[in-house]
Amino acid sequence: MINTEYFTLGHISLLLGFILIIVGFWGILTQKNIVKIILAFSIADAGINILIVSLGYVIGKTAPIIDGSVVQKAGIDVSDSIVDPVPQALVLTSIVIGFGVTALMLAYAMKLFTAKKTLHINKFNDLKW
Amino acid sequence: MLKNIIIAVILIVFAVLFFDLFMLYEARTGLTGIAQYYAQNGAKEVGAANLVTSIVVTYRGFDTLGEVTILFVAASIISFFLKLKENDESKNISSKDTTEILVTASNVLVPVIFLFGIYVFINGHLTPGGGFQGGAIIATGVALMILANPNIKINTQIIHWVESISGVGYVVVGIFGLILAGGFLDNKITGLGEFGALFSAGAIPIIYSFIGLKVGAEISNILNKYQKSQKND
Amino acid sequence: MVTPIFIVATALGVGFAIGVLNKFGRNFTGALVLAALSFMTFISFQWFYALTFNNLSEAYVFTGGFKPPFAINLLMGQYESIATLMINLIGFLGAVYLYKSLKERGSDAQVVYLILIMALNVLVMTRDIFNLFVFSEITSVAIAGLILLEKGTRSISAGFKYIIATSVISTIFLIGIVFAYFITGTLNIDDFIGISLSTYKGGTIVVFLIMISAVLELKPFPANGWGIDIYEASEAGFSAIISAATTTASLFVLYKIMAFAGAEWNYYIALIGMITFIGSNLLGLKQDNTRRMLGYSSIGQVGLLITILGFKDILGENAPFIFFGILISHYFAKAGLFWLSGIINASNLKAWSIIRKKPILLFLMGTFIFALIGFPPFPSFFAKWTLVMDLVKTGNIVWVIGILLGSLFEAIYLFRWFGYAIKGDAEKTEEYKIEFHKIIPVWIVALSLYVLGYFIAQYNEFTSVINFIPLAFVALIFAIDFMPVLIKNTIAIIGMIFYFYTIYPQLDNLRLIFEVIFLIGGILALIAGYLHKGKRIGFYPVALLMYAGLTGILEAKTTLEFFYGWELMTAGSYFLIIRGKRSMTHALSYMLFSLAGAYAILTAFGIASVGQSTWSLSIINNIQYIPLWAYSLLIIGFLTKTASIGLHIWLPGAHAEAESDVSPMVSAILLKAGVFGIVLTLIGMGAENNQYSELVYVLGWLGAITALIGNLAAVFQEDAKRLLAYSSIGQLGYIVFGFAMMTHLGWLAAFTYTINHFMYKSILFLTIGAVVLRVKTHNMYEMGGLIKKMPFAFIAVLISIIALSGVPPLSGFAGKWLLYNAVILKGWYLQGAIAFFSGIIAFLYLFKLISSIFLGQLKDNHRNVKEISIWFIIPIYILIVGLMIFAAKPELILQPLGTMISQYFPEGGLNWNGGMATTSIGYWHGTHIMIIVGIMFAILFSWLAFLSRKAQKVKQFNIVYSGERPFTPETTHVSYNIFAGYNKALGFLVLPWITDFWTLTTNIVHDISGFVRRIYSGNGQTYLTHIVLYVVVIYFVFFN
Repeated sequence: MINTEYFTLGHISLLLGFILIIVGFWGILTQKNIVKIILAFSIADAGINILIVSLGYVIGKTAPIIDGSVVQKAGIDVSDSIVDPVPQALVLTSIVIGFGVTALMLAYAMKLFTAKKTLHINKFNDLKW
Repeated sequence: MLKNIIIAVILIVFAVLFFDLFMLYEARTGLTGIAQYYAQNGAKEVGAANLVTSIVVTYRGFDTLGEVTILFVAASIISFFLKLKENDESKNISSKDTTEILVTASNVLVPVIFLFGIYVFINGHLTPGGGFQGGAIIATGVALMILANPNIKINTQIIHWVESISGVGYVVVGIFGLILAGGFLDNKITGLGEFGALFSAGAIPIIYSFIGLKVGAEISNILNKYQKSQKND
Repeated sequence: MVTPIFIVATALGVGFAIGVLNKFGRNFTGALVLAALSFMTFISFQWFYALTFNNLSEAYVFTGGFKPPFAINLLMGQYESIATLMINLIGFLGAVYLYKSLKERGSDAQVVYLILIMALNVLVMTRDIFNLFVFSEITSVAIAGLILLEKGTRSISAGFKYIIATSVISTIFLIGIVFAYFITGTLNIDDFIGISLSTYKGGTIVVFLIMISAVLELKPFPANGWGIDIYEASEAGFSAIISAATTTASLFVLYKIMAFAGAEWNYYIALIGMITFIGSNLLGLKQDNTRRMLGYSSIGQVGLLITILGFKDILGENAPFIFFGILISHYFAKAGLFWLSGIINASNLKAWSIIRKKPILLFLMGTFIFALIGFPPFPSFFAKWTLVMDLVKTGNIVWVIGILLGSLFEAIYLFRWFGYAIKGDAEKTEEYKIEFHKIIPVWIVALSLYVLGYFIAQYNEFTSVINFIPLAFVALIFAIDFMPVLIKNTIAIIGMIFYFYTIYPQLDNLRLIFEVIFLIGGILALIAGYLHKGKRIGFYPVALLMYAGLTGILEAKTTLEFFYGWELMTAGSYFLIIRGKRSMTHALSYMLFSLAGAYAILTAFGIASVGQSTWSLSIINNIQYIPLWAYSLLIIGFLTKTASIGLHIWLPGAHAEAESDVSPMVSAILLKAGVFGIVLTLIGMGAENNQYSELVYVLGWLGAITALIGNLAAVFQEDAKRLLAYSSIGQLGYIVFGFAMMTHLGWLAAFTYTINHFMYKSILFLTIGAVVLRVKTHNMYEMGGLIKKMPFAFIAVLISIIALSGVPPLSGFAGKWLLYNAVILKGWYLQGAIAFFSGIIAFLYLFKLISSIFLGQLKDNHRNVKEISIWFIIPIYILIVGLMIFAAKPELILQPLGTMISQYFPEGGLNWNGGMATTSIGYWHGTHIMIIVGIMFAILFSWLAFLSRKAQKVKQFNIVYSGERPFTPETTHVSYNIFAGYNKALGFLVLPWITDFWTLTTNIVHDISGFVRRIYSGNGQTYLTHIVLYVVVIYFVFFN
């Protein structure tokens, strides 16, 4: 069904990205320890980042830096030689955002542990219905 | 039990959704859309050899501003969230003595790491890397310092000054772009210089330097707060 | 004009700089933040003004020096300017409110707040989808941090649940975005709109992912447990910001995404919104924590706004008006309520009674609640009206029912809460100080609601016809509420006289009758108010509000003005009723029944407007589309006001527990508004038209049965005022019955009853009320023998019960005679028999009333009571004079009435010959009867006086029976349980079946609410499961 001739690097990394995201979601929904949930978020973030980068893949081309391995005069059209630079820019932002959120979540985890001496998610249901 | 079934169903549906997306992926053979434009014109319009940098700092510079802001907000929140009470400040963190290897290696590596980080963000427009990467590297150095000596006193004053000045500097450069050039965060406020040289691509090295310092300072700040919060116990 | 990018630049510049500027102190940084926010507000306002009033066209702001799609751009158009103005304004006011909390947490907190407001601005303005993602992340992180302004574990765990929930949502969002880039090659929203994204291969899935994330950000029901928690756990001032500012931004984001998502999403969006609106408000019913309840209400309102967005294409050019009208009302009112809850600091709903210590806060709270429900003069009134009209016109009646149902749920818990505030026990003396910086924002938003209500009404040509003058008068009285009663009462009376004088030439005869009843009756009732010494705070504005509404109904030329007056009347009367000592629950049930009736009327007006181009009241004369439903709804709506059987349970409590001079207002005057409505409806149905004969037939039966049950229930009452209240129910039954006959004589009889009932019920309530004021009890068996002490009262009651019972020579007989004739000529023998049977029953309670109170033996504790107050005697005797004139010379009123009715029913009227009236089956001459009866009475009375001149006067205890001498008056009182025998025979008819039915309905709804809300188990992971499960469900629904 899936023709291996057309199964490129892009496909492989895309698949990897999706698998990581699913694993991350699984972790978020099933793990009980708060730190493990945060780790699951990290896994999902990694998955998304791989996904984004792999969407930028162009077969056979190289990094979007105009130096020795591409024609290096300014002003020349390099669009035949490079992969898509836009996802790389997006993923940069995504990584930073992921970092910020993870840092915040860890701070929360620290405070939650200080408050109740446990990291079990089920113990933190003070507010309900 | 019911919960597990529901979760299984949810994951399966997501898998199906992702499979649909996967199926519509065909590896590309050339650039289209805005990517093509960037590839064709990025070098001469912005002047940076690293196309990703030109996108991050100039074309989509507004996003980068947002990115920096997120880090800033996260750091600020952690600052007031993990604020210590007065009498806790003077406590010492008890821990096992750190090994000699770690201490020695840290003494050797930390300056190199800092240097490398600075190199990365200064050359952001020429080689892979940039402000964020450089700042993160600098922060790694700080992390190493903390690991080596859990009671190290990091000078938060310097961190705050660096953070503020770089932040304000970034916004000011952006406003200069508005006044002197084509729009907010336009990098053509100075000449584009010679392509491939260190002082090229207009304001990009300046911006990336500010970003690098700011990010480094912020992450160090976060690490510092984590470090100090151990005194709470 | 300052370029909008400075909104961002200022906030960030100031924010980054504060890191080192905090060495100048937190007050300095706080002031900087306020300065930045005010500058941002100024920029938005500048653009709003230019775009709206100076016809500037929208402006794109480019960044990076390049044009889109290669660089990110922002748009400042008219909607963006309104939205950013709203966000910045509430951000500024919020910063004022939160000044101390933010300062306490430090300059970092101040900066995060500033950045949050900035990020919300960008969400509105940006045209790039990835930029949208970045700034929504900023928003989420900032909110997660600011939740922590409130200390304690609850806020930490709420914040954590929030951050993990939004992370999941943003993951889904990001996947959608990158694939959107992949398939289109651009990240610009305008490009997406241009190329119509959903037609691309894979486009639907991508759009699905993006859309569902935007929806989830708005906290749809039931995937919103995490959202409710942040409302409950945050500091009150911050909950206000979340409720007002972030919802505005998130709704705008949804709007932008809908622009490229394709029209097939509209239906689903509307459905999601509707489920959220109804579900969230349903769950609000069982809340007893203030902030949690306000959280449910906020989410509910957002659901309504989402529904409106879903319908935006159908609503056409009215869509922005409707959307912003409701959004602005929600935004100001919710902020105000959250802010108030921060000032009062009562976390339990019942503890809100302490708000009464500073009564002005009660006014503010009332303003916000009424604005949320959609009462005039607030923007939400006009918006909701237009929404209902447009939805019905386009055939979406089921949606209208959903909207009104959700609104009713919301009204239930909001008014219940308001009842606690007004009348709950104020025993807890927890003092609270009103801090200056906290109360100013509350005042600003409250006043804005009034001002904006006025301006928004002017915006739409249809709604600008509303007459605001009576409201201005009410505002004037409110402003002088600190003055003593003497001044206010006089001003009020003069105002009403003056108003009547100016208005009556413009009214046709039909309306003139009612105007006299409303205004003149009102003036008479107000005279009794002179009794009060002191200030009587809060009485005059609301009483005048009710009268403003009543006259508004009569002056109305369009359905909108009618409804406007109707709602004003309801609001005013609610406040009047709740002033009674034990009125808390009665006022609530009054309000709910009134609202339900008003919604029925609203729907009917909507149906009537189908196919018409105006909203003139005459449209109910010719309803094209499902007329039977429309007329039935109108009748049901008006019958809630006349308290007909099944819809009557609110009346006895409300009327009986009201203050002494309020009871005549509500019982004699207010009920007639319902009568007027029924008259209009029946005129609209057309006299000759037989196509509605089943409807009027049912109406006739309803009237007859109401008369029976009302009168019968009155018989068994021990409380004098309750007796009169049930009597009103019965009398209104007669009136409805008379009108339902749809013949000239029937209408003549009904109008006669109306006028009569107004007069004698006013007299009765005024007198009994005055007696109650003297003897300090409502129960008749505790009174007795008062004829010796209050002869004037006795005479007044005697005359009015003679009139009520229909005995000649007084005016009630005219009505009875006309009714006899009408029934026989119409052929409704069975209904007529029931009606007359009720009339006989009326004798029983009338006798009980007068004999228990005035005859019999005087009680010990009443030995020193005085005659009733002169201030009550004046209006009472004016009315008695009116009654006597009507009785002596009935043709003065009946002839003009007959002429007026002839325009609807030309045949079958009375033939007048001097003072003699004839119908085809009988004749009657009022003046002659009066003379004859007078002579008979005089003869008998003088003979009695002659015979008893030698009678021996016996003291109270100089009697013996069954060999015992009584020593206390109670044992000789005939009234207690007087009609026990009748109770055995007919008592089953007055068992509280209907009350039980309504109680059952209420309990079922509350139980459902209690059951469903258990899904909010408090566990953050469960909430995440809800979120992804929601995605799965919508996926199945949408893709099948």
